[in-house]
Amino acid sequence: MLRESSKRNGSLDSLNLQGAVGPEADSGVPHGDLLTAFAEAAVRRTDALPGLRERIAAELGVQELVDAAGVVANFQRMVRIADGCGIPLDELTRDATDDVRDELGLHEYASAANTA
Amino acid sequence: MTTTTFPFAYATTDWPVLERMAEAHRRSWAMLAAPGEWWTGAQRVSIAAECRRASALVDGLPDPGPGPAALSEAALFAVHKLIGDLPNVTREWYDETISAEGMSDTHYIELLGVVVHIWSVDEFHRALDIELEPLPAPIPGEPTRIRPLGAKPHGSWPATIRPGDLGETEADIYGGAEYAANVRAAMSLHPDSVRWLSDLFDAHYLSWIEIGGEQEPFRVLTRPQRELVAARVSALNECFY
Repeated sequence: MLRESSKRNGSLDSLNLQGAVGPEADSGVPHGDLLTAFAEAAVRRTDALPGLRERIAAELGVQELVDAAGVVANFQRMVRIADGCGIPLDELTRDATDDVRDELGLHEYASAANTA
Repeated sequence: MTTTTFPFAYATTDWPVLERMAEAHRRSWAMLAAPGEWWTGAQRVSIAAECRRASALVDGLPDPGPGPAALSEAALFAVHKLIGDLPNVTREWYDETISAEGMSDTHYIELLGVVVHIWSVDEFHRALDIELEPLPAPIPGEPTRIRPLGAKPHGSWPATIRPGDLGETEADIYGGAEYAANVRAAMSLHPDSVRWLSDLFDAHYLSWIEIGGEQEPFRVLTRPQRELVAARVSALNECFY
């Protein structure tokens, strides 16, 4: 979805998917470092969370912060539906993303076993 | 603590939470309180209460206490597993859980539906440091115990319903689409959980218009920014899907 949406808005060339899975790389998405740090702090419950809220509110805007919180909340749900039901990847997604999943090390996740 | 009204009074917080989001959260509380297909309203509120206990345990916070109805050991364990030990949710564990006394595949899916939606609303509050909404008072009544006839094995652990197999009572759950991605169909053994999923998905993340590539005027992050946050949350949870 990240790759597709970057393709649609013309920013695919600057996208680095490694930045989506870990903090070591720059994703190339504007303010991506701040947004992923917020997501990580919210999921991991770190002490950085209050400061990151303030930074997003100041640097992007308060509505952007609420938007980001909504996405975090949505995916805290979606991952539990996916892995709580052991769903396999949809065929189209599997074929279209196999190389990227390999590159990002996603096949190491235990839930990869749900996709034959 | 439970309540019969669901204020979700975001106007009193520091953040400009849209009314459409507050409305979706109020609908979530109303769905939670009502009897389901396999659990009573009191049991559903207790599943939500256990969800909060599991979260408090993981976060090292005081125990908020149980809900109004007793739940079986298997149900309690399932809630804690889904909240605090997701990478170790396996096929073997699922099979064991649905075979336990008082459980079944349909009980499990409805329980999952309650857990993930309450957890999601609570996670929104935690991300913004907004106090959690008190759980609703349960609505009396008996579960309907209706299993959808079109549910069949399609690769997920529980049976699911493909769009072409939808019956009259659940005909709306995919919005008329001819194709449903596995994650959308995952809880179709309990159709109300799919309706609930669609409602909160729209409020928190994307409407169906946006899936097609448009941007709703009320969303302010760009689509790549939203997808980046989504990808990081999925990676942190080690979710392959």
